[in-house]
Amino acid sequence: MFENLDIFKMASGLARHAVTRQEAVAKNIANADTPGYRAQDVASFEEAYEGNQAGTAMRTTREGHMVSASSQETNGFRLFDAPGPSSPNGNTVSLETEMMKSSQVRHEHDLALSVYKTSMNILRTSIGRR
Amino acid sequence: MSDLQNILNLSASGMKAQANRLRHVSENIANADTPGYHRKTVSFEEVVEQGAKTGAVNTGDVQLDQTELTRVYDPGHPMAGEDGFYDGSNVELMIEIADAREAQRSYEANLKMFDQARQMSSSLLELLRR
Repeated sequence: MFENLDIFKMASGLARHAVTRQEAVAKNIANADTPGYRAQDVASFEEAYEGNQAGTAMRTTREGHMVSASSQETNGFRLFDAPGPSSPNGNTVSLETEMMKSSQVRHEHDLALSVYKTSMNILRTSIGRR
Repeated sequence: MSDLQNILNLSASGMKAQANRLRHVSENIANADTPGYHRKTVSFEEVVEQGAKTGAVNTGDVQLDQTELTRVYDPGHPMAGEDGFYDGSNVELMIEIADAREAQRSYEANLKMFDQARQMSSSLLELLRR
């Protein structure tokens, strides 16, 4: 029974990934007109999940590893410069792409919360509460 | 959860910067016929706190556009010189309108991000309800 609790870990990992990516998107949109700004993106959840067999439990090798916002890794997810053409002032943000990303993020977050809620209901049913 | 708060802060900084830009555009338009007026421009820059980029955006110092003022021929004007010309402003209405449109577009994108982060955090809190 309890090995199934992995699904909670996975769901919360997916939710965390969605929030991290949303943060990157919000950052890009806020800086849509900043000269020289390079758009950032977060590696897909699949990649983070594959790279960490023990569910998506965050592995920290060092204190403060997860809180640093400036390093190339946030919350255990890899950040990278999003490819794309740059405007004459060196900015690579495209509002359309960011909007598309944000709707993907929304979907991912909803999915994670639904999985979590459903698993919780199953667990509740199994202990005899409705 | 604190990440979602962070997204709200980022989007709010973006909206503030765009509103500031729009304010300078409206100042320029209001002064389009003021003799000797140089149009004001603001540039955006990333906020740096303690040596690290926070991702928030801020408007830099106001700069004056140093292109030449238009010479207007009107001998009856009190400021006209001996040749009948006086210095008008260097505001181009077409440029200002285009700038205002762009500011509005970016503002709306930031607002959308703000709203989405808010919805995500409220659906997260929904999990606590039974």
